[in-house]
Amino acid sequence: MKKTAIGLYAAIVVALLAWGYYQAIYVAPEDAMQGEIFRIIYYHVPSFATCFFCFAVSLAGSIGFLAFRRSQPDRAQMADAWALAGAEIGVVFCTVGLTTGPLWARRAWGMWWTWDARLTTTLVLWLIYVSYLLLRRFAAGPQMQTLAAVLGIFGAIDVPIVYMANRWWRTQHPAPVFGGGDNSGMDPTMVGALMWNLLAWFLWGILILILRYRVERQHQKVAEREAQEALRA
Amino acid sequence: MKRFFFLLLALISAGLFVRVAYLVLASPPDPAFNAPNHEAIVDHLNHLFRQAAYSITWAIQLGYLAWLGLKWRAEKQMDGRRKN
Repeated sequence: MKKTAIGLYAAIVVALLAWGYYQAIYVAPEDAMQGEIFRIIYYHVPSFATCFFCFAVSLAGSIGFLAFRRSQPDRAQMADAWALAGAEIGVVFCTVGLTTGPLWARRAWGMWWTWDARLTTTLVLWLIYVSYLLLRRFAAGPQMQTLAAVLGIFGAIDVPIVYMANRWWRTQHPAPVFGGGDNSGMDPTMVGALMWNLLAWFLWGILILILRYRVERQHQKVAEREAQEALRA
Repeated sequence: MKRFFFLLLALISAGLFVRVAYLVLASPPDPAFNAPNHEAIVDHLNHLFRQAAYSITWAIQLGYLAWLGLKWRAEKQMDGRRKN
């Protein structure tokens, strides 16, 4: 039943991704100033939106782990699995954003990268969560999960800074498209294409988040069984 | 069968990475402003870079999905071995 539900959900997500692609390439009009390169926005913005959501899941999981680690160990392990899954999928989406952005910048600005506030804080965010994953991969001992949870919470502080960077400071990065004041906004056809892609990539993110969570829970169960066998021996 | 599927995903991902590298590295240089076919070259370059951006998105996502699938299989096999 669970497998069928996930399979059905995956099929809907794939259909939505195909629809989002069609909207981005064939329905949305070409930008008058930037031409076709503007269409990168339909993958770039949804990637960062999903990335922020995943880091929020990681934050909630990290807080949950710290809250339950002494009183309810099983719940703490579940929270830890969500924290890891959120951080990992967040890094995947952040990597997509950090590669599609420079491809756009090369054509729009004539350079791959600039050390402005939005780009730099995003790179710092990516580095923090990559270090989180490295800590999870290579550190050992009973304190590893606690240290990772603290780092996960620390890393999440950068998310609102990234979001606000081009509102607080004057940046090379374009001003916010939505909620950026009187001069922000898009053509309704472009908004439609962006929203479809936002929905599709967000649902895709949730799909791989759930799959990653299940893999981590499986890993935890195997590790727990191994520990119990070792104690018995 | 599942292993083959995940390996196929990894192969598609690798192929897309190669495509991105080709699209970016083999793209023509920016035309001079007074070049006769300036607009056409700029449009072509924009098209190549848009394709590269979409391809790298799928390369990263499918590559991660393949890695996750192979990891999931390995965990399941380890669990099965332990139970036996």
